Amino acid sequence: MSGLELTPIVCAGALGLVVIGLFGMVISPHLIRIILSLAVLEGGANLFMIMVGYQPDAVAPIIVNGVIPAAMVDPVPQALVLTAIVIGVGVQAFAITLTMRLRRAYGTQDVREIRRRMEQDISRAAGVTATPGSKDEPEFPHPRNAAVRMGRG
Amino acid sequence: MRKATSLLFLIGLAFLLTVIAAQIDFGHAPLIVGKGINAAAPTKVGSANIVAAVVLAYRGIDTLGELAILFTAAIAGGMVLGLRNADAAPDPEAGFILRTAADLLFPVLLVVGLFIVFHGHLTPGGGFQGGVVLAAAFFLPLLAHPGSTMNHPVLGLVEGLAGGAFIVIGLFGLLDQGEFLRPLLDKGALGTLWSAGTLPLLYLAVGLKVGSELASLLAHISEYEVLD
Amino acid sequence: MNSLVLLVALPLLAAFLQPIVSRISEGLGRWFGPVILVITAGIGLQAWGHIGAAVALNIGGFRAPFGIVFYVDHLALLFALAVSIGALLLWPRGQRPDAVREYTLTLVLVAAASGLAIFGDLFNLYVFYELASVASFGLVAAQRSGASFAASIRYAIISSIGAVLAFIGVALVYLQAGTLNLAQLAQLSEGRLDGPLGLAAFVFLLIGFGVKAELFPINTWVPEAYATASKRVAGLLAGVISKLALLIVVRLLVLVYDQQAAQLIMLSLGIAGIVTGELAAWRARDLTRMLAYSSIGQLGMIFVAFSIPGKAGVLAGLAVALHHLVVKPALFLLAEQWGGSLARLRGVGKTSPFAAVLFTILALSLIGVPPLPGFWAKLLVMIHLMNQGNALYQVGMVAIMFAAVLETSYLFRLIVTFYGPRPETPAVAPHHFLDLGAASVLSAALLAAAVYMGPLERSLDGIAGAATDTVAYISTVGPRARPSME
Repeated sequence: MSGLELTPIVCAGALGLVVIGLFGMVISPHLIRIILSLAVLEGGANLFMIMVGYQPDAVAPIIVNGVIPAAMVDPVPQALVLTAIVIGVGVQAFAITLTMRLRRAYGTQDVREIRRRMEQDISRAAGVTATPGSKDEPEFPHPRNAAVRMGRG
Repeated sequence: MRKATSLLFLIGLAFLLTVIAAQIDFGHAPLIVGKGINAAAPTKVGSANIVAAVVLAYRGIDTLGELAILFTAAIAGGMVLGLRNADAAPDPEAGFILRTAADLLFPVLLVVGLFIVFHGHLTPGGGFQGGVVLAAAFFLPLLAHPGSTMNHPVLGLVEGLAGGAFIVIGLFGLLDQGEFLRPLLDKGALGTLWSAGTLPLLYLAVGLKVGSELASLLAHISEYEVLD
Repeated sequence: MNSLVLLVALPLLAAFLQPIVSRISEGLGRWFGPVILVITAGIGLQAWGHIGAAVALNIGGFRAPFGIVFYVDHLALLFALAVSIGALLLWPRGQRPDAVREYTLTLVLVAAASGLAIFGDLFNLYVFYELASVASFGLVAAQRSGASFAASIRYAIISSIGAVLAFIGVALVYLQAGTLNLAQLAQLSEGRLDGPLGLAAFVFLLIGFGVKAELFPINTWVPEAYATASKRVAGLLAGVISKLALLIVVRLLVLVYDQQAAQLIMLSLGIAGIVTGELAAWRARDLTRMLAYSSIGQLGMIFVAFSIPGKAGVLAGLAVALHHLVVKPALFLLAEQWGGSLARLRGVGKTSPFAAVLFTILALSLIGVPPLPGFWAKLLVMIHLMNQGNALYQVGMVAIMFAAVLETSYLFRLIVTFYGPRPETPAVAPHHFLDLGAASVLSAALLAAAVYMGPLERSLDGIAGAATDTVAYISTVGPRARPSME
């Protein structure tokens, strides 16, 4: 099989990984699985970028034994992917530290529970006890009539 | 409800991606930049690994940004984790296999890591890849002997100075030749270890920075005490 | 002029060295950051008169399109200055749990944001954008409360999805055009980037870079992040960084994607942002989240303004963006002590009169009351929206007017409570003098703009004109479409 015949398969693979990763990030409620899905997502995107540089019947852009090859693939996407992989590692490492810390702070890794607790903490810190729009909203001072008429302009 | 909208969004995205994939013509991209770099890099930059030339010379400031991202992630991660509680229960002992293997592997990892860093401009590899291996080399003893601590101040010093060295080499380019991150020094013979001017130095700075950074971050994560 | 690289390199070097400096001497470490920011701002100010129309810096000496180019025109320099001066005014103060790391992260954010302001290469843009993102995640989490960690991880997840999509967008652009240099992309966009594939790439890029610009629908992270982070960080992110994210979208729109489809997409998302943001702000019952939702609404309006084609769009958007850049951080600075339930602020007009006056001025400008600058900015947007042919722009007009009604309602409601009956025990403490001082500086700038509206509008007009002059951009950077020996 020549390289050009393989490209639809690789392309499908790359974009398939992207879809799987996105799917995992959106559907899964577990933080560690979300981070793993992010890794899959980034893998798919990096693979896609490398394919952009593909040239049929060309070799890697490395000069061995002083012989410069006739046709080399594009080196730029490979450099871009190197950068992207490192960026991905950095973000994932930071996300893992946050996951560990959240497990101690909230005792869970379920994003839904974490969100609920976060909203609770924010409302409590703000001194706002009930959810907005509910029946037990605290009384708001009546604006002076003049202010009302002036405001609705 | 939110799950339903997310699923719909995903299905739409998957459809969009398949349409895109069907239209793409791989293998025939207009190589405006790539061809020019492939032709010019061996003589202009002097490195046998053209990707290294792109990473450190043509797109050096991308690499600086990438270094900074790793640095920032390590700083933020260290800030989030905080320090280990002094009277926390000690971690369990590592097994016999891990202890022996760690002692055997440490010099091997060190040599492999340094080899990859130093030959980054000749073969696939470079500062980032070698740096990760170096980080593993220094982290493995920590796993094998829990209770021993990593020397964080020294790691912090190496990290800061290595990162500073990268920028300072770039600033030399600014002062000497008028362009930030311009490759300096003699290009040497293509394919030998002492070639490509400042590129091996830049990769060394990258390797040391990444190695110390990741070792420190891994140590922080490992030192964070387990709750149950 | 190559020293302009220092706008990025200097804060970054300072960030790398900050931990070491603080270890040597704590006092030195505290002043190290602000001194560096002053020097950076000085470099930018000194360059203002010396760059002519624009300057292109070839990093590493490699000519475009093979190397990376920094493009510095007055628009870029304006925002680069806003970054360093804004960070100086909003520098973390007081007893911070992990001050050294917070200083480091702020310096990194300044370096990344300066890189965003002067970008000229698509992937370099991506790298600096990610750098700014990681620094922001850290700064939000710097509060070290459970809620701030949760807000940070949610922000990180949304931002990462966007970043990967932006990366795929960059891949698509490179696949079709073969280059990442913005000037060359501007040359090649007709014929290569105006098909469905090109538009798909634009959408991916918009989603990716729109996360920081609080674009609808990827702005769900905003209220919780601004509520849990320190108010200075919130002011920095909402006031300064969001404008930079917008700036990069605008450059892409003007230079590479000067197509109606792209403008209409931005217009629709902007309208959605206005409506959802202002409605949520109207219903908010604590000050910080009200300010957060209000910023979503304002940024939606800026998106609508920038979606107007031609120089008019850039001028209108620039006016509103600069106005918000000054007002929002000042409001967040005042929220440092006033954050919390709105009911707590009853009678604050008597206990902290100066702060109440400042807040009133800022709020009136936000609503758009003449002769404050907010009125002129909104008027500019409305006039240019009215002149557009496509009916969607008139929908945008309606949305902005609807938003103005809501803003008046919730801001006036708040101002009235300020001057309401004072409670027996004051519920809020007076402001720290640094917060009040910085807010006063920003308000003074606002009032100065109101006084010098004429010359200000003329110089903004010039800046907008230079920014939309694609031909001048291409000739300044000077790439050749045909590949040649570098």
